[in-house]
Amino acid sequence: MKFLCIDCDTAMKFKDVTRPEQGSVTAVFECPECFTEIAMYLNPSETQMLKSLDLKLGGNNEAVQPMQMVRSQLETAKKDPFTNISSEVTNGETAEGGKCPFTSVISEAFDENSEPTPEPEQSGLKWTSEALERLERIPSFVRPMAKMGIESFAKDNGHSEITGEIMDAARGNFPAQF
Amino acid sequence: MKSYKELPDDAGSNIIGQVTAQANRLSQRLSTVKHTVAIMSGKGGVGKSAITANIATALSLMGCTVGIVDADINGPSIAKMMGVRNITLEYTKSGVLPAISHLGIKIISMDLILSEDDAPVMWNAQTQKDAFTWRSTMEVGALREFIGDTEWGDLDFLLLDLPPGSDRLPNVVELIPNLGGVVVVTIPSEISQLIVKKSITMARDILKVPIIGVVENMAFYMCKHCGEPEPLFSVQDTSDYKLNENTLGKIPFDPKLSLCNDSGTPYLSEYLNTPATEAITEIAHKIQNFFNS
Ligand SMILES: Nc1ncnc2c1ncn2[C@@H]1O[C@H](COP(=O)(O)OP(=O)(O)OP(=O)(O)O)[C@@H](O)[C@H]1O
Ligand SMILES: [Mg+2]
Repeated sequence: MKFLCIDCDTAMKFKDVTRPEQGSVTAVFECPECFTEIAMYLNPSETQMLKSLDLKLGGNNEAVQPMQMVRSQLETAKKDPFTNISSEVTNGETAEGGKCPFTSVISEAFDENSEPTPEPEQSGLKWTSEALERLERIPSFVRPMAKMGIESFAKDNGHSEITGEIMDAARGNFPAQF
Repeated sequence: MKSYKELPDDAGSNIIGQVTAQANRLSQRLSTVKHTVAIMSGKGGVGKSAITANIATALSLMGCTVGIVDADINGPSIAKMMGVRNITLEYTKSGVLPAISHLGIKIISMDLILSEDDAPVMWNAQTQKDAFTWRSTMEVGALREFIGDTEWGDLDFLLLDLPPGSDRLPNVVELIPNLGGVVVVTIPSEISQLIVKKSITMARDILKVPIIGVVENMAFYMCKHCGEPEPLFSVQDTSDYKLNENTLGKIPFDPKLSLCNDSGTPYLSEYLNTPATEAITEIAHKIQNFFNS
């Protein structure tokens, strides 16, 4: 991927990249001559493709951690599938923001010096106790995804409270049974 | 206006450099492994994993140091067959320590990482909607990490238990360009043999990987009453499907082998003088000779 500043006929340089937000990433490029900036947005699929290749926009300046892709990306992993037995503290993977768009995702997978996972964005939707009970019955490894799906279905359809009926209606939208 | 080729690099991401670094990490890890062997088939369920587990056991009993990569990311079975399912993996900065079976065989498998028996492999993503576009890339990435980030140490053999189908070997060859060889497993059924031909062509003619030979699994069973070998499947004429590849051995169907796989005790270390043990041991010797000759 290359960018050209047409006015200066000069290759633009990578400047910055955001962390994934709602699955998509924004990278900023700058012309080294006229300092014009452009933003490139990757949609969730493109972001995911980059993640799956374990490649970093803007270059990879971090020490590679063993099995970092599996450790950070496997949704259905055990709670602590890997124990760190190294005496040295593995540092460096928590470099804030900066050049590596997925640093935060990676560091969360490590049991040491991990930042607390931010709570998923509060949807502002209420759940009835029946609906909550049904949510609990969804296997734990798909629950977060199912919850997100139901909430976005409710929002899209103008509901402010999630009931059993809404769950029934949302069920057709994704594979998890509840 | 400058063309693509006239622009000096990829704006600073150095994707080529990152990919090269991944490849270097892998080849450096494999520098202490003498021989890499992929066990493949055409059809599923023909006994690749059972044979991988038992060839590993045979090689280990012959005094070799052995590791197994369960390359079946979505259907891992090696950890169970080798009795290491309950192990928690440990890591240091330089790599993940593999699970170690009682014979000292080193194992890495998705099964050691997944949360529950009924948990499928699901990757973290904003949406699973277009997952088909990236899921197989993720699986290759996982395999790259399994091979390249496990602390194998010095090994004589690293066996890779592949998922079924002829389409997986290209991924392995991309990761391990100098793959030592392939063992192809089939059963004496026309359907299995029809498909296995595709795997042989893929390995030999397209990827140019050495084929160590073909293993015929469940080739016969020993009759309980007369003690003679009896065919288990109808097709016994094996003249055509191997496309001139050499047969490494014929392994009989033995219910005890299946029970051992289920209980996580390698059949070979439990039953010393059975026809299946003899066949598997002979296959292991042939694999060793393939590399020594
Ligand atoms: N020679 C044999 N005698 C008895 N049982 C066998 C024999 N070979 C394999 N089995 C059993 O057959 C079943 C299928 O074998 P296995 O899982 O090894 O096949 P596979 O080719 O690895 O399957 P997949 O394609 O799903 O990976 C297992 O239960 C295994 O224990
Ligand atoms: Mg298998």
